[in-house]
Amino acid sequence: MKALKTVGRRPRRLDAEAKVLGELVYPSDRCLEGMLWVEVVRSAHPHARIESVDTSAAAAVAGVVCVLTAKDVPGENAFGIQIQDMPVLCHDRVRYMGDAVALVAAESRAAAREAVARVRVDYEVLEPIIDPEQAMQPDAPALHPGGNILHRGHFQKGDVEVGFKKSAVIIERAYQVPMMDHAYLETEAGVSYYDDSGSLTVESCGQYVYRDQTQIARALGLPLEKVRVTAPYTGGAFGGKDEITVQIHLALVTYHTKRPAKMVLSRDESIVSHTKRHPARMWYKTGASKSGKLLAVWCRLVSDTGAYASLGGPVLNLMMEHCAGPYLVPNVSVDGFAVYTNNGFSGAFRGFGCTQACVAIESQMDLMARALRRDPLAFRRDNVLHKGDRAALDYEMKTKVGAEATIRAAGRGKLYRTRGKFKRDRSEHTRSMAPYIKRGVGVASQMQGLGLGVGLPDYAEVELNFSPDGAVTVRASTSELGQGAYTAYAQMAAECMGVPLEKVRVVGADTKTTPDSGTTTASRTTYAVGNAILMAAGKLRAELDKRAVGLEGISVRETFHLPVADVKLGDGLPHLLYSYGTHVALVEVNTLTGEIAVLAVEAYLDGGRVIFRTGFEGQSEGGVAQGIGYALFEEVLFDRGRFLNTNFDTYILPTSMDVPADIRTVPVEVKEDTGPYGAKGVSETCMVGVTPAILNALHDAIGVRFTRLPVRAEDVLRAVLERRR
Amino acid sequence: MKITVRLQINGAEARFEVDSTERLVDTLREKAGLTGTKVGCGIGECGACSVLLDGKVVSACLVLTAQVDGAKVATVEGLGKAGELSDLQGAFVREGAIQCGYCTPGMLMAAEAILARYRRPTTEQIRKGISGNLCRCTGYAKIVSAIRKTAGRRAIQRSGR
Ligand code: FES
Ligand code: FES
Repeated sequence: MKALKTVGRRPRRLDAEAKVLGELVYPSDRCLEGMLWVEVVRSAHPHARIESVDTSAAAAVAGVVCVLTAKDVPGENAFGIQIQDMPVLCHDRVRYMGDAVALVAAESRAAAREAVARVRVDYEVLEPIIDPEQAMQPDAPALHPGGNILHRGHFQKGDVEVGFKKSAVIIERAYQVPMMDHAYLETEAGVSYYDDSGSLTVESCGQYVYRDQTQIARALGLPLEKVRVTAPYTGGAFGGKDEITVQIHLALVTYHTKRPAKMVLSRDESIVSHTKRHPARMWYKTGASKSGKLLAVWCRLVSDTGAYASLGGPVLNLMMEHCAGPYLVPNVSVDGFAVYTNNGFSGAFRGFGCTQACVAIESQMDLMARALRRDPLAFRRDNVLHKGDRAALDYEMKTKVGAEATIRAAGRGKLYRTRGKFKRDRSEHTRSMAPYIKRGVGVASQMQGLGLGVGLPDYAEVELNFSPDGAVTVRASTSELGQGAYTAYAQMAAECMGVPLEKVRVVGADTKTTPDSGTTTASRTTYAVGNAILMAAGKLRAELDKRAVGLEGISVRETFHLPVADVKLGDGLPHLLYSYGTHVALVEVNTLTGEIAVLAVEAYLDGGRVIFRTGFEGQSEGGVAQGIGYALFEEVLFDRGRFLNTNFDTYILPTSMDVPADIRTVPVEVKEDTGPYGAKGVSETCMVGVTPAILNALHDAIGVRFTRLPVRAEDVLRAVLERRR
Repeated sequence: MKITVRLQINGAEARFEVDSTERLVDTLREKAGLTGTKVGCGIGECGACSVLLDGKVVSACLVLTAQVDGAKVATVEGLGKAGELSDLQGAFVREGAIQCGYCTPGMLMAAEAILARYRRPTTEQIRKGISGNLCRCTGYAKIVSAIRKTAGRRAIQRSGR
């Protein structure tokens, strides 16, 4: 292969200049002539029956143009990515505090807010269902017609009982992971209006404009072509803007008033209303032989999906798929349940079920290595999956498996090789404090399915245009959430068209001007859109050989269909392609105060060939920060279905003081044969292993196994005191 | 009752009629059309709305416009122009200190305040200096290095003078 000119390098992001100048217009910045401000009346209770809604006082507020309720939804009053079980506006029942009951549109935001307070809703308050185990009982009141179990799964490979009988060590633990908020810095926002051609247009913040278009059209009873959705740029998403947020509400106001409208959620409203990372309980029993071979993994996984389905089913499927990590286990038994409750509402979030499972299995791996007195990395390496092996759910791994390469690379890294030195170092502390300082190094390894998996339509269509002045335009409907994908697209287009990067432009996420490139999720865009770009470039070059470039230039379209596994175990289950990663973390614990500091993290990531090196590192560093948040800070708290922490004073995010200055990202470039230039994706695997690596480092530091996240200073203190007793 | 407030924004004089409860961030975004300054929390916790007020970094979501009559306000829009980025902006671009970019304007203003305070800030001083500015995307590492490199370049320029 000839040397690559732009792929694998460190170009400036295409959007960098507009962003540092403050010129990029985000959804929350849009302003339209004569626009109305829209505010939502949300439920006053986590669970209640609506008896009546009286909007007369609200409608009388000066400046209010309309107050809309369920009867004003002209189409199907329901949405949801997979199952449409969520009302656009509730008419008979509310199931969580974020449920929308009415919309107010007014000339000013102040008027809209005043009117919201004057909408009178009478409720018959119902007992909230807050415990997933109780919700599963046959006599529990049903939140949905099909009962409270949204989805369940059972998979078996071999016979775990036989495996446990042969095991020299058996470790049993229960894990509990919290609900986590995406906390993208820009809350959900957008504007709506009728464009010149009469299409109801919504410019917003979603992660898949074509699906948003379908959901809006269905709720409004409009033909698809009468609805246009755009969402090229937004201030972060991480999966939290995959489901509908403001889009249908905006469209509804413009539909009824024929006027432009704008919505920006407050932070409190954002946290209360959008999907979250599923809180979960995970019971694990694992066994290994004396010689250090994994023999059995048994687990029971219960995820609390909250009030509505969204992607709760597929998230559980991935939790089950990744329940045994990147390891070869002869005997596996997994039971999974995704259960409706009145605890908010959960869905997609970076890692998508793998995040939860990885916390549990990587803790188990560490405990087993300890019990066997084996080096934790060597123990992982000895059990790692290879191509051709049968995965936990008993299907064959048919593509290259980079797990071992990342483990070996981690073993060669400075942090792990010289961990003794790092652990002894007290040079930052005074002599009197030093005895109370404990340090530990921990590792974790993981795999992450790429793409939507088998059974779900997963394709990317792109358009490539070559203009007479030699410029290339890529049109793709995925969104730039911050990850840098548009820059990677431009690099690939420049490479395969043989033009300089400056000659490439990317137009994104508009149902009118860009073809359907699928979701901006599942670590899939670089791989999927990249492949489509390569296909289109081939066609374009052939056209250029055949004919002259007219004034319009030449445009071609191509669609890439993601290859999938040849077995189907469930929706999105399993995957054919995976990314892999191994993380090493150094933590320091002050046993007097309980304070935990993450001092350094090394990330060894196999996302295939790296296309945009700066973007790759950026994803990794941001993933480390989120992994630290999940391990040590973040938890959405409830009191009987009522949110307790809905802004950044009480929902605590890692700051620059909490994330180490020392993050080392090492790409382990196992080139994927089906990937564009050998690329896969990295945006999830970069985060998932961080949390268990920290838990394992804590164990190494103070000899305590934490099984409940987040681990706070008070938890450390309590554990240290208990050990002294 | 409306109150008349005069501000000097990025060097230009401006006059606003505001309610007593109007926040500076809304005056900037909605009346002055300067949407570079963002809102992430509205309660002084995220720093997305950071601007310089008479040279000091403040959260514009916590400042009432009526309180700061006569003040000098510096926002991201005053730092540089297309094709003429400031040294700090250039460093953010080169280092890859930007992802979604929503924290970037506030981060740049906080960084200017650090650079005004320390001639050669240490990594720790930089980390502390931006600890009021949340970034959910980058993990801060590249932001810290962009600020450190700018400080280095400015120090060389000063000594060359
Ligand atoms: S919006 Fe002002 S600090 Fe967050
Ligand atoms: S770049 Fe997204 S919040 Fe900082």
